[in-house]
Amino acid sequence: MGDSQYSFSLTTFSPSGKLVQIEHALTAVGSGQTSLGIKAANGVVIATEKKLPSILVDETSVQKIQILTPNIGVVYSGMGPDSRVLVRKSRKQAEQYQRLYKEPIPVTQLVRETAAVMQEFTQSGGVRPFGVSLLVAGYDDKGPQLYQVDPSGSYFSWKASAMGKNVSNAKAFLEKRYTDDMEIDDAVHTAILTLKEGVLTPAEIEDYLQEVE
Amino acid sequence: MSRGSGGGYDRHITIFSPEGRLFQVEYAFKAVKAAGVTSIGDKLLDPTSVTHLFPITKFLGLLATGTTADARTLVQQARNEAAEFRFKYGYEMPVDVLAKWIADKSQVYTQHAYMRPLGVVSMVLGLDDEFGPRLFKCDPAGHFFGHKATSAGLKEQEAINFLEKKMKNDPSFSYEETVQTAISALQSVLQEDFKATEIEVGVVREGNPVFRVLSTEEIDEHLTAISERD
Repeated sequence: MGDSQYSFSLTTFSPSGKLVQIEHALTAVGSGQTSLGIKAANGVVIATEKKLPSILVDETSVQKIQILTPNIGVVYSGMGPDSRVLVRKSRKQAEQYQRLYKEPIPVTQLVRETAAVMQEFTQSGGVRPFGVSLLVAGYDDKGPQLYQVDPSGSYFSWKASAMGKNVSNAKAFLEKRYTDDMEIDDAVHTAILTLKEGVLTPAEIEDYLQEVE
Repeated sequence: MSRGSGGGYDRHITIFSPEGRLFQVEYAFKAVKAAGVTSIGDKLLDPTSVTHLFPITKFLGLLATGTTADARTLVQQARNEAAEFRFKYGYEMPVDVLAKWIADKSQVYTQHAYMRPLGVVSMVLGLDDEFGPRLFKCDPAGHFFGHKATSAGLKEQEAINFLEKKMKNDPSFSYEETVQTAISALQSVLQEDFKATEIEVGVVREGNPVFRVLSTEEIDEHLTAISERD
């Protein structure tokens, strides 16, 4: 990885020991559309805003939540084009694991490999960090799992998390409503209600609640 | 404390600014707008060589807005890619696959310092076997969306406003209505009536999925129909 003409990293330490390019990448994530994930007792849900730039855009052509393997999905906040690169690489890594070991890749392994790619782009020559944070949701032998991966390449497992705009409101809301024994249907309901905190109009919430109740 | 703007290079190559922006990508968007409307007034210039409409394959067309030189590079690579696809997989490259390929290539330029982003917005059109007529727009940032209607270039916002009004109730236009809406959109934002030789129109239609550039006579017919309608 890295470009031969640029044999030096563009992400370098500042005098205070920070990697400023990564900080700026996180700022880019923070101005992206809100997305969130919730781990329930029997599953995981991920959700995101889908605000399109114009009514002329064909909404069926846009799919922000992507599948990595039959039991692992991912959503992003930040720069869409960057997320496509990561989705492509992750899918390939999952496939290579499957080919070698003849079994589906565990969620933790896939997260680790994706995070490694993101870290490479913070250190290799001639490239910039990815401007996305990912929420990876999966279900394997260890049960339901939810991981958040940041532009730096660091990742953590979460019971519930949010990224993008309005993240502090969203996280506060999630903290209030999260319980360890939530079922998947509760989690989906909570996810939608959390998004509405900053996103949906009162009319849209009304419609949804009427459908559900 | 963190230093200001990464040594000032954030405007020269595609690294992040403190606000999390990519200036080079934003400047590429400006280049698209600055390219301006081509005038074909010069007697010595061969007018058939001045074009923004490119066939990629027999069934896929590309309208490039922005820097012509960048557009030609992109078209050349797209043609190669589409031909390889046909050879490797045995069927024609679908519209969305080409659009994604263009967008992914543009994304690479936004992340690797060795190449600048291209100053081109591409609109790719074609007839999909499953989904029917499709239109995609790809920009220097690597975004791509399917569109019911869209515009690019200096007056793109005015054109999009015009099209939003026309398409608000999700009408289903006939072929003639579609072409005439497109031409009317151009006329309304450029605020001038132009001759058939001054615009280019490219179409694909159900029943005739080949990408075709309309001849001057056909454009004339549409122009007449529009002025009679008004």
